[in-house]
Amino acid sequence: MSEPTTPTSQPIPVPASKSVPANAAMTRRNFLWLGWSALVVFFTASAAATARFFFPNVIYEPSQKFNAGPAKDYPMGVSLKWQNEQRVWIERNEKGFTVFWARCTHLGCTPNWFADQNRFRCPCHGSNFNIEGDVIAGPAPKPLYRCAVEIASTGDLIIDKAILENRPGFRDKSPFFAQYQATV
Amino acid sequence: MSLRKLFNFFNLSILLVFLIAFWIDYHREWKIYQRAYYQKTADSLGKKLATLSDPEQKKALKTQIKFWRKHPLEIKQIIAKDLGRVDRCITCHVAMDEFTNPSLTSDIPENPYKAHPDLAVLVKNHPLQKYGCTTCHAGQGLSTTLEEAHYKVTEGHTVVWEEPILKQPYIQASCAKCHADFEKLRGAEMAALGKDLFQKHGCIGCHQLKGVGGVISVDLGDIADKPLARIAPHNFEEAGVPHDKYSVQSWIEAHLTKDPMDFVSNDPLGKFNAEPIAPSGMPPYYKELKEKEAKALTTYLLSLSNKSIPKDYYVYASPKPEPNFNNAVEHGKYVFNKYGCQGCHGMDAKLGRRNFNALGPGQDSSKPWEIEEMAKGQEPTLVDVVGTYTRGELKKKIQDGVPASSLAKFNPDGPIPPLYMPSWREKIKGQELEDLVSYLLSIAKKQESW
Amino acid sequence: MADIVTPPVSPNGRKRLDFDQIKKTVIDSQIWRSIFRGGVWKDTPRDRAAHIIGNVWLHLHPVKVRKRAIEWTYTWGLGGISFMLFLILTLTGVLLMFYYRPTIDLAYRDMKDLEFAVTLGKLMRNAHRWSAQAMVVFVILHMMRVFLTAAYKKPREFNWGVGVLLLTFTLFLSFTGYLLPWDQLAIWAVTVGTNMAGASPFLGNEGPFGSLMGMRINNDIRFTLLGGTTVGENTLLRFYVLHCVAVPLLVGVLLILHFWRIRKDSFSAAPRDPNEEKVEVWPNLIVREYMAAAGCVLVILLWSVLQNAPLEVVANPNVTPNPSKAPWYFVGLQELLVYFDPWIAGVVIPTVIIIGLMAIPYLDEDPRGVGYYSIRERPFANTLFLLGIAMWFILIFIGYFCRGPNYQWYWPWESWLKVKAPPPPTWSLPMWAGGLLLLAYFGLGLVAPKLIQKDINWKKAFLWCGAALTGFSLICLFQGITWDRLPWLYFFGFAYFLFGFLVPQRYIRTLSWTRYIVTMSLVLMMMGVLLKMGLRLGFDIKYVFTLPQFSLNI
Repeated sequence: MSEPTTPTSQPIPVPASKSVPANAAMTRRNFLWLGWSALVVFFTASAAATARFFFPNVIYEPSQKFNAGPAKDYPMGVSLKWQNEQRVWIERNEKGFTVFWARCTHLGCTPNWFADQNRFRCPCHGSNFNIEGDVIAGPAPKPLYRCAVEIASTGDLIIDKAILENRPGFRDKSPFFAQYQATV
Repeated sequence: MSLRKLFNFFNLSILLVFLIAFWIDYHREWKIYQRAYYQKTADSLGKKLATLSDPEQKKALKTQIKFWRKHPLEIKQIIAKDLGRVDRCITCHVAMDEFTNPSLTSDIPENPYKAHPDLAVLVKNHPLQKYGCTTCHAGQGLSTTLEEAHYKVTEGHTVVWEEPILKQPYIQASCAKCHADFEKLRGAEMAALGKDLFQKHGCIGCHQLKGVGGVISVDLGDIADKPLARIAPHNFEEAGVPHDKYSVQSWIEAHLTKDPMDFVSNDPLGKFNAEPIAPSGMPPYYKELKEKEAKALTTYLLSLSNKSIPKDYYVYASPKPEPNFNNAVEHGKYVFNKYGCQGCHGMDAKLGRRNFNALGPGQDSSKPWEIEEMAKGQEPTLVDVVGTYTRGELKKKIQDGVPASSLAKFNPDGPIPPLYMPSWREKIKGQELEDLVSYLLSIAKKQESW
Repeated sequence: MADIVTPPVSPNGRKRLDFDQIKKTVIDSQIWRSIFRGGVWKDTPRDRAAHIIGNVWLHLHPVKVRKRAIEWTYTWGLGGISFMLFLILTLTGVLLMFYYRPTIDLAYRDMKDLEFAVTLGKLMRNAHRWSAQAMVVFVILHMMRVFLTAAYKKPREFNWGVGVLLLTFTLFLSFTGYLLPWDQLAIWAVTVGTNMAGASPFLGNEGPFGSLMGMRINNDIRFTLLGGTTVGENTLLRFYVLHCVAVPLLVGVLLILHFWRIRKDSFSAAPRDPNEEKVEVWPNLIVREYMAAAGCVLVILLWSVLQNAPLEVVANPNVTPNPSKAPWYFVGLQELLVYFDPWIAGVVIPTVIIIGLMAIPYLDEDPRGVGYYSIRERPFANTLFLLGIAMWFILIFIGYFCRGPNYQWYWPWESWLKVKAPPPPTWSLPMWAGGLLLLAYFGLGLVAPKLIQKDINWKKAFLWCGAALTGFSLICLFQGITWDRLPWLYFFGFAYFLFGFLVPQRYIRTLSWTRYIVTMSLVLMMMGVLLKMGLRLGFDIKYVFTLPQFSLNI
């Protein structure tokens, strides 16, 4: 920023008729620079602040994050414990936990879990999903979404429905899979 | 056309259209009804006038007649704050407005001018200003036209109002919503009968009510709240419900008066889906239920809602005590009915229900893809087979259930049969289980011994 | 003026009302004179000029305009009608605001009040709704008129850009207004619309690089737009403020700029020759403007009397209607979602359309055609522009009339009650093949028309193209592709050959390289959308090129 001002900072012969000190031109120019940059910075900053302003810091929606209780209490297989309250299913296998968002990707109905057929079946339009959440029948366009899940230091499952993923390759890794081996 | 003519034409037409618009706006539908009510009231007073002789009385009555004849027209509404309702029904049903017609009685027998029936009980116990109208009658309280207030269907593909007006006997569902003891309530007999039938036919064996019951089909605990958008219009079409009758009420009733297999979404041949989906497993109750019974059941089901009711408006009932039995078999029979086993196994376990694509008697195995053949699938009749089990085996079977995937299919590539034996381990335990098994063994058809 | 006024006397001797005398008295009164500047009205050219200059509402007009500019067949009054609709919308909108509260508990009830309990409330709402939709149509028509008469060319380039912005804001105003009734139609149209924002690259949680930037459903751009994770209370308030205050203010400012530039750039109908005849604006233009405005009011009023604005059941975020569609002017975009990854269809394509439209005056260096309709002098510009507009409306037509439950293809005459088998499974080209194909399409498509210097004989070219298509269709037939899909092939093949190759080859290869490349890229993208539609609808190709890591699915 100081580049353009450098030439002026060298002593420039000033006509003697002017009574201004030799470095006055420089100061004025510098000052102008300062003024303009302050204005630009002000505008940029206020634009950024306005953008920030539009992000609400509190929203009156049920929390997306919730504590699903101790991980050790979950049996192997699919648990429907939170289906009605939080609209998620918690699946536990030998390696750890996966949490599905219980919302059919077709039209948003809540599918049911059929343990004997090892699948979720949507009562509305007959979409079937396997235990991976992939569509095996029906009109659903996408696999079921999985929610982010972690095991807190207390051993509780913390589930965040704000973070969702359903693409193979991404959904099998943290944070959409929480490793957990039962300690005997 | 010259510009001047055009100028005149436009200005005149705009004025004309505006006047028409204003005329239409001024002559709203409700005004016709309200004016007619006042005129009819005045007319009936006029008749009375002819019978009077006292000039004082005559004069007073004449003033009254004049008052009614010149009564200003206005939109009347009840704001039932606790229940969150604003009901303008009394704009047309003027006789039910307690400020215009404090006695709430009416000489005019036809709608919309007639009085509310059973004033002494219904209106006295449910003050209109507190309860509003739509609390019991449903419909759209804010609307002031007949079609919009009672029911409405768009010409397109969707039905507009979720809550069409409730008529007898379905309106009894509204009683049952708040009165937990509605079985004792005069006027709610159909709802009570419905509850009775629900228990008698073992609906709870497959349908849960708010988490209680079998898990084969949907939970009916909030069936009255079911949004219409969740029912595909083509299902209504297949159920033979006319276009202007699409509602949860007709959807429920169709299940009881027609064969659900015909209209609930299915795809037994796997034409539309990656794999075949069996038709509804709901037994053909239309064969067992009379028209009145179907209506009663519908009425009862329409009372099952999850919408919250303010505490003060709710009438509690003490839970029915479990009856005492000193006979294990009788208790077992009670348990059999309590958990809705008869839903699938028939009354007294004497009926094997149809089960699509299950291996049953009389199927022609050369036509595995014939829907008719697959539909012949049947569950074994309990009285016939129960004798082949030992007590321990039977107990285990009730506890574990029979998963649908392990049922023998008629067509191995066809859909999984919709009905199966769920696991009752968590629900039927202890003495109940013991006595149930005793009951089942007691009714077993004796095996021919040879 | 009229010194010898003989008081008109009726045959029976009674004095009649003299309107001329009354008019004179009124106009000459101090009150009238204080309101309308200028001296005694003599109806001279000077008076007429003074009328325009001295009136705050009229002074944006010049004193005189070319005679051609006031002919209906030149402007069709489209800009004026758009502005009139904007005024109707402002008026009815302000009136509606008196009875409307933007909260989810009250909004729908207030709509019912407007419909059933407010004097003329229904008419106001209908007029507002229909004017809004008419405005979208008329702004587009106005843009087409300006394009076809080349009125965007020097010195009006900037004003064209302002016009494009106004079109964008018109759409945005309609979109924000769509939510306010808070019925099922509203929230699901807005949900579908705003979900596209969630697919923005970098800024959206479902867009490419979104998760890399740490975007979640509660901190991405969609969240900002909605003020929450779903369409809810905050969204309603935000859309209300945008719809009633923020965007109208912006549009007002842009309108002032737009009008001012029209006036400064020598009004409409650029001169064909410098000595063209001019006529006075008052009364010649003003009266025609009045006619357009009056006609517009009449039609809107009549329409509002005859047709009610739709109002469905109250919004329910848990129940999705099947199918759920965006408002009709966005259904084209929604339809594009079928063919491309959401961020391409919902973000890239609209951006390219807006920027491309704004870039047109800077790309078109042909000075001909300004101020009159001429398809012969500018065949490339006109056909390509009209093709673009036609495509937009074809997409809208498909999305609005040909999509039924589950967004499946239903012909307009087919009943939605009929259950349809799902469409045949789609497939994507392998990455190398898709990449090569894209490279070839853009590489060859960009360079070939410019490099072929000899003018192509069109008849021969069509013969060759026909032969190639026939050959290809024969191969297709042997490969088991059925007859009913071949019309797609013919239609899109010919369309591309004509608009993507022959026309550019003939008319724009003389452009400078920079302009040529930019123009050609836009042409190829547009034709690409068309070709991709053909591939999907005719050959079930899901994506030509797919890079799932970046959601780059084309």
